[in-house]
Amino acid sequence: MRCSSSVVDGDRSEDGDGRGGEVEIRDEKTWASLSRGGEEMRYREEDERHHRVSNVLRTSDPPLGSVPTRTDESQFLRGDGNGRFGRFGGKFVPETLISPLRDLEDEFNFVLNDHEFQEELTTALRDYVGRETPVYFAGRLTEHYKNISQTTGGGPEIYLKREDLSHCGSHKINNALGQAMIARRLGCKRVVAATGAGQQGVATAAACAKFSMECTVFMGTADIEKQSSNVLSMKLLGAQVKSVEGTFKDASSEAIRNWVGNLETTYYLSGTVVGPHPSPLMVREFQSVIGKETRRQAKQLWGGKPDVLVACVGSGSNALGLFHEFLGDEDVRLVGVEAAGLGLDSGKHSATLAVGDVGVYHGSMSYLLQDDQGQILKPHSIGVGLEYPGVGPEISFLKESGRAEFYTATGQEAVQACMLLSRLEGIIPALEASHALAFLDKLVPTLRDGAKVVVNCSGRGDKDLDTLIQRGMPSSLC
Amino acid sequence: MATSGTASSFRTSVSASSRLTHLRSSPFKVPNFTPLPSSRSHSFSVSCTIAKDPTFLMAEAEKTKAAGSDPTLWKRPDSFGRFGKFGGKYVPETLMHALSELETAFYSLATDDDFQRELAGILKDYVGRESPLYFAERLTEHYRRENGEGPLIYLKREDLNHTGAHKINNAVAQALLAKRLGKKRIIAETGAGQHGVATATVCARFGLQCIIYMGAQDMERQALNVFRMRLLGAEVRGVHSGTATLKDATSEAIRDWVTNVETTHYILGSVAGPHPYPMMVRDFHAVIGKETRRQAMEKWGGKPDVLVACVGGGSNAMGLFHEFVDDTEVRMIGVEAAGFGLDSGKHAATLTKGDVGVLHGAMSYLLQDDDGQIIEPHSISAGLDYPGVGPEHSFLKDMGRAEYYSVTDEEALEAFKRVSRLEGIIPALETSHALAHLEKLCPTLPDGARVVLNFSGRGDKDVQTAIKYLEV
Repeated sequence: MRCSSSVVDGDRSEDGDGRGGEVEIRDEKTWASLSRGGEEMRYREEDERHHRVSNVLRTSDPPLGSVPTRTDESQFLRGDGNGRFGRFGGKFVPETLISPLRDLEDEFNFVLNDHEFQEELTTALRDYVGRETPVYFAGRLTEHYKNISQTTGGGPEIYLKREDLSHCGSHKINNALGQAMIARRLGCKRVVAATGAGQQGVATAAACAKFSMECTVFMGTADIEKQSSNVLSMKLLGAQVKSVEGTFKDASSEAIRNWVGNLETTYYLSGTVVGPHPSPLMVREFQSVIGKETRRQAKQLWGGKPDVLVACVGSGSNALGLFHEFLGDEDVRLVGVEAAGLGLDSGKHSATLAVGDVGVYHGSMSYLLQDDQGQILKPHSIGVGLEYPGVGPEISFLKESGRAEFYTATGQEAVQACMLLSRLEGIIPALEASHALAFLDKLVPTLRDGAKVVVNCSGRGDKDLDTLIQRGMPSSLC
Repeated sequence: MATSGTASSFRTSVSASSRLTHLRSSPFKVPNFTPLPSSRSHSFSVSCTIAKDPTFLMAEAEKTKAAGSDPTLWKRPDSFGRFGKFGGKYVPETLMHALSELETAFYSLATDDDFQRELAGILKDYVGRESPLYFAERLTEHYRRENGEGPLIYLKREDLNHTGAHKINNAVAQALLAKRLGKKRIIAETGAGQHGVATATVCARFGLQCIIYMGAQDMERQALNVFRMRLLGAEVRGVHSGTATLKDATSEAIRDWVTNVETTHYILGSVAGPHPYPMMVRDFHAVIGKETRRQAMEKWGGKPDVLVACVGGGSNAMGLFHEFVDDTEVRMIGVEAAGFGLDSGKHAATLTKGDVGVLHGAMSYLLQDDDGQIIEPHSISAGLDYPGVGPEHSFLKDMGRAEYYSVTDEEALEAFKRVSRLEGIIPALETSHALAHLEKLCPTLPDGARVVLNFSGRGDKDVQTAIKYLEV
């Protein structure tokens, strides 16, 4: 994709021409139709302040005039036909990719309603992945928070959605399976993917092995060092691992470049809800099984809905997977937790929504970490899967619409949370998920007794043991 | 109870020939005994070859022979904890009470609805059961013969359990049992660390104090697992005596138990050890077979034709087999570790190359030399690296109910790679032994025969080891 390579080359220009202005006006109309009263004014102001569309494409964009105004809720929930979530999303790609993306979209829309496909996918999710994953009542963690707050009542109840129990150890497989099946339908013999922590790489390699497809995974050199056991797993599963100087964002760019160069035979398996339409939509749909199960399980367990859903946010796939089912349930609070790394002031973090600006990156418009010149900032997080300077467009939309709230947790807080859960529940969470768990410290004291909190335990922490060993054990574990 | 009377006569007759004469003289005083000198390199309990069966045993053996090929008439185990002539309780007097207490508790909890409900809930929400019965399409295709015929391969996915192996089923149940008994302290021994991690995991979950004994040599080789156990809040105590490996850690753990028996429960990781452990651990793993029966009925309206599982101590195999022992049309196959080869002297193929003796409190097959010394076993997979085997397996072998084969390190590594590539599931090296045996088994099976293989664990822990040997 040319836009990302231009970014790497430092070739970004501020969009001060008429096109930018057009976008703004149209977005205001769109926002007006979705706004809720007094918020309307606030968003317009924010638009002006945040509007810095770093649109580097010299080639043609998809015609922005086709952004329809949206009034019905189902589209609010599913994104419009052009893959826009409010003003976010879209298809900022070179012409060569428009056609394959449209094929992909057609195929995806077909399989959504194809009984055979859905049955095969459901069976694979059940027998291969091990779904449904439990919603586990974390009794000792709940007790821990009760003791700290010294409340007389029962305190909030903490449940963990156990995506860590999935085959390969994280939620990534839900999407990898679905997309591998689509790749097979499209007649692709070869799959490429990019991976940060290695979970996406392992999941893709596993799915490709199962469906006998060739697999190439791109991974940043820095990440390869940190997550070596995942690299070995990928190779054992038959994938080729290609190292790319840098981290996940660079590996992503390289994977996309590889895809563009081999469009006839190759399928690009996006692991997360970024990228040009239909990626964000597709990945979210495949991950939405998490939220669907949670609704059913909550009903069984306590006869109601969750009060608060908490998930870590890198690009947003596990968060959207849990949240999406409940977008229309106003009484369910949605809380996303990003990586504050060494602190928001340190410059070493991945808190895209907290301090980022709107721009176009890797094919879609969303919040991203950029400097005054529109250069992508290097993200940092101890949870490698959160180390991404962008975020899914649908997540950006949920933030701006106020439907979801976003906070951050530092690497230090995440490590503490990881150690706490290990000691109290015998579950070693991935450092990414540990960010969500870390936020409970601030969240739980604000909740009423008996409030049901469901945290997405998006992955297990075996891959992070080396990192934790390096950090050393703290002398007192809380 | 008649049990203790007759059982103690065995203890006396056995310990007369043992090297632990100091225990015989003071049955109620717990001695501060030092471990046997390293040249002996075996655990505290007796390891010897029984030259002559006492009359009592003969009567039992004859009764069993009379029961003959009808498994429903077999006592598995009888009231003395014997499976035919195997099993029993070869332990010092100080442990007898704890073992009886355990047995009583186990029997009463088997019918305790609250306990069963709590256990089922934990297995579901914490461990992630039930584990799927997965049809391995590409593996089935791999074994399809030229004429299109071949067996159908199903994998019972114990690798998907929390902590990645079947071990947690038993650990969770024993921790719950310990809590019921009012014990606050848990001990266990571990070789490579898998059982230690499972034990530390459940202790964290139940808020129990946890001490894991591990050979100092093993601690060095498995630093990651040591860290894991500590992260989970367990204390890992290094054992430096003997060869500083599993056997020595076991001795140390047993010594701790003897000393602290009132407050402490010993979570044994396999179907070995003195009664009631073989029965208890088997019953806690029997959920594997129970689910398999139901899933097989759902999937193809019948039973499996062949069950295959790797055998170290024998817990995952018993967990799968137990449910089907009475179904004589279901073939049961256990696969042990042949290490560098059965003739190399470096293997762990107890049932193929071993002799009957007593180890760690139970009579069973074990790898011993002519002097009754335990032979140091070898397998590339730590979980199969055990010189003994559960007494029930010894019984099933002698009765001809189950068949036992073995597979070399090399064959296991090949299977490790093959299954990773074909199904996208990395098996534990232990499980890889069972998978390797399919190469010999499948060509002999009729078309459409349904094979259920216990996929006892995932191989993440073995990736570093395997890469050294494999060309990837």
